[in-house]
Amino acid sequence: MKQRHKIYGATLAAVVGLSVAAAAQAQEKTFKIYGFGAKSGVVGIFGQQSEVAMQAAAAIINKSGGVTLGDGSKAKLVVEYLDDRCNAEEGINSLRRIASQNDAVVAIGPTCSNVAEPVFGVLQKKVGDASDSGLQFPLYTDVAAKGGLASMSQWAFRNVPSEANMYKALFEWVKATHPEYQSFWGGVEKDFAHSNATYNVIKTQAGNNGLQVLGQSEWLLNDINFSNQVREMKRANADVVAISSHPFTTCGVLKEMARQNVKPKLIVGLTSSSSMETLQGCGAQAEGLLIPTSFAPVTEEAKNAAAAVQALNSKYNMDLHNAAAFENVFTLKELVEKQKVMGRPDTVQADRQKMRDGLAALKQTTGLLGKVGRTDDREAIKPFLFVQAKGGNWTVAHTPAQ
Amino acid sequence: MDSLYFLDLSQSVIDGVLFGAIYALIGIGFTLIFGVMHKINLAYAAASIGAAYLSLLVVNVFPAPAVYLVAALAGGALGWLIYLVCFRFLPLDNPMATLMSTLGMLLAIEELISHITRGMPQNFPALFASTNIEVGPYFLRGDLMFVFALGCVAMVGLLQLLKRSRLGLATRAVAEQAVAAQLCGMSVNNTNASTFVIAGFLGGTAGAMAGAAIGVLSPLMALPLTVKGLVVTVIGGLGSIPGAIVAGLLVGACENFFQFVRGVGERDIYVMLMLFVFLVFRPGGLFAAPGGRD
Amino acid sequence: MDFYLGLAQVIGIHTLLGLSAWCVLHTGQVSIAQGGFFAIGAYVAGMLTSMAGWPLAPALAVGALAAGAVAVAVGFPALRVKGLMLVVATTAFAEIVRLFFFNFKWRVQTAEGLIGPDASLGFGGIRYFPSHAWSTLDVNLLIWALVGATLVVLAWLDRSRVGTLWRAVGEDELAAQSAGINLTAAKVSAFGIGGCIAGLAGGVFAHYATHIEHNNFGILLATFAIAYPIIGGLSSLAGTLLAVIFVQGVLLEGLRFIGDWRSLLFGALIVAVMLVRPSGLLQRSLGLGLGRRA
Repeated sequence: MKQRHKIYGATLAAVVGLSVAAAAQAQEKTFKIYGFGAKSGVVGIFGQQSEVAMQAAAAIINKSGGVTLGDGSKAKLVVEYLDDRCNAEEGINSLRRIASQNDAVVAIGPTCSNVAEPVFGVLQKKVGDASDSGLQFPLYTDVAAKGGLASMSQWAFRNVPSEANMYKALFEWVKATHPEYQSFWGGVEKDFAHSNATYNVIKTQAGNNGLQVLGQSEWLLNDINFSNQVREMKRANADVVAISSHPFTTCGVLKEMARQNVKPKLIVGLTSSSSMETLQGCGAQAEGLLIPTSFAPVTEEAKNAAAAVQALNSKYNMDLHNAAAFENVFTLKELVEKQKVMGRPDTVQADRQKMRDGLAALKQTTGLLGKVGRTDDREAIKPFLFVQAKGGNWTVAHTPAQ
Repeated sequence: MDSLYFLDLSQSVIDGVLFGAIYALIGIGFTLIFGVMHKINLAYAAASIGAAYLSLLVVNVFPAPAVYLVAALAGGALGWLIYLVCFRFLPLDNPMATLMSTLGMLLAIEELISHITRGMPQNFPALFASTNIEVGPYFLRGDLMFVFALGCVAMVGLLQLLKRSRLGLATRAVAEQAVAAQLCGMSVNNTNASTFVIAGFLGGTAGAMAGAAIGVLSPLMALPLTVKGLVVTVIGGLGSIPGAIVAGLLVGACENFFQFVRGVGERDIYVMLMLFVFLVFRPGGLFAAPGGRD
Repeated sequence: MDFYLGLAQVIGIHTLLGLSAWCVLHTGQVSIAQGGFFAIGAYVAGMLTSMAGWPLAPALAVGALAAGAVAVAVGFPALRVKGLMLVVATTAFAEIVRLFFFNFKWRVQTAEGLIGPDASLGFGGIRYFPSHAWSTLDVNLLIWALVGATLVVLAWLDRSRVGTLWRAVGEDELAAQSAGINLTAAKVSAFGIGGCIAGLAGGVFAHYATHIEHNNFGILLATFAIAYPIIGGLSSLAGTLLAVIFVQGVLLEGLRFIGDWRSLLFGALIVAVMLVRPSGLLQRSLGLGLGRRA
């Protein structure tokens, strides 16, 4: 019995000791940009890709000398990325953990919209409001895309595409190139914040552009039987079908459509499904799927960035999600220099204020596909294009005028 | 409500019954282990899906039917592993310990799959190309009918195994009185392990069939299949294999029916309420096992 | 410092959740319903403070009572079944609650705009703490005061006749009934008190997170709830607290440095704890010695 207790005690001490040791770093003039998001679990790939993109961006910056701090000295840019497992409590914990570090001035994240909403909720709502005990820490989001979240706090900024703009342009283009399409049927994954909210946008834009919305089929995130939904779709026999869901159920629905011989003239997908996952799961059935996206390797900058990520770790590539993380690192580096952030432990709160004010003052940032605008409630207006699945790859279908 | 509505409704129920064949297969595995050990193996559905993933390793090497065989074998191996890790060394009289250990195993398997596949859904080869059999105005999915037939064959096979073979005799003896069985020279460990392996064969096949029916595999499937499997086991009667089949088809049919009538947001509420009603009025399930244990 | 205070908040909320499960487990029932009561407390308390402008204390109290009332109402039919069937029944109940909130939409216009549960999009804007200038220390004091009060109440109950009745029912229902103990009263009272505590925990959680949605209250949360007392040892209240600190503090936060292997380790560690010490970390050896190996 006592032996066992000794072993427990030793193991516990070892685990705690290891974590403390891991925190001790070698001394070097560094400036840290933190990130947090989902690095494990079903959506773990998003956080992993963001981390690699941030590291690739930092490597490029460091190769040309690093970042210049407020006192004129140069510092090496270092990235630290925390895993929140797409879980609200851990997201808040991760943010608090970051905010309690005296080298943390800004963070990029989170990945999941259901984490972003609680995390933005614990931030101070209005800058300078002494009666609000919310956290005073600037966040610059790369992935979480549910509409309108940045308006929750003046410390929250986002570099995610405006789905309202993208789908508006998409349906305008569809109307212009295929005026014969008359009807629309939607499919939506109801129990996930992003797919649900975006579907409302899709439906509205389809209706605004001459398509008669006949109805919608609904399913849940981990449904496995889509016979009812696809049968409804078949009955409606619409020209255009939109599927607002994540790759697993998108593939399930597409395969059921193939089984029931449902072949609409056009299938439109959800922005975040324009990644390898959809093509991996159901490449054959996804043929012709049209999706608006804010990243494709069509410009020099985009190609170089994608190559940089692959060079750092060939397991990962660049897609619309981690492209934003990549862009954010460069934007933040410029802000550090412009706002003369000191990067010292005693100037932490002032530095955070400077970063926030810097982000607020930005009217435009540089993106990989062109200039990125900014709205009044701290959201981004990103250049975008339409991609289509062809032969197991995403090809550019059309680049609309921005 | 026109004739089209009723046509769609009945087609929906038929689709549900056919899809329920998969729930039935998973339910048989759960109920088999419960019938023998009076414990529940929460990791069963996860292991079944894990076996399906393992069979994907050979999908480019072997033709399609061999893939399912590999899934079954992998399922058996995983079943043995779960027995070894979660049941063998745990005290018999503490049901909560095995509940927790199999729960931990379920989480571990799910995470392992997410980790290795990086969360990406994997394409799974279909059983037969597209076999929609037309019976009047209705379409029946041929591949699901095959799964149902498989379930019936499994049921007959298992019942024969339990009644006629030495292993079946040993299994029933150990289930009834482990000490007496041990005194008669039967190895309790080996017998229980064999049960897990056999349930694992079935589970691996079920996982592969589920993958084939949907067309994609994802770690997201583990938890819902576990819950459905438990629901089916309880409605069918704990320990009753025919009960699991009937209950599986019933649950599949009701799911689709409620979804058609009330939509996807309320579907599961009604299925769960149905379960509740069963538990209150007929706790032994449809086919209460002899002795009516809890 | 702020981070440790934040972590302490999470540990406090989970301790309350674990204690609610402890109550029920003490009478020998395995209930996966604690997540459902947690959800009820969260939504009710959140709605009262953010939509009706109530102060915190009455809102939390009403949330707890609402959850407790539902627990008693559900307890009567649910507790007619035992063992695995209760596991499934309570799982079904928890899912019904979660799906209810998935469909529940009620928004009102307040000074800060439209606030209220918005069906599947969640319920945000529960900003009582920040807008009333509560610091992380203040919130901590509240949570740990509640935890302390709950521990005191439960310890007192444990030592009183009620505790003896609960333990008697937990050890051997037949014997307890033969001794004239009203089984239903004992089980339902434990369920109801457990529901109250879970509702309280939920109310605090809603204010901690400022945004809640149906996905927060799934089966995983409920399994955490029962994992804490089982891992900690059912004969000891302190064991639950220790288990929460172990899981949330050491496992989830302390092992961050191993990156995405952390989730994997979690499941494996539960299995390991069950293998090494199946009756819980702090369980007094009751010398039952009848535990045979599986």
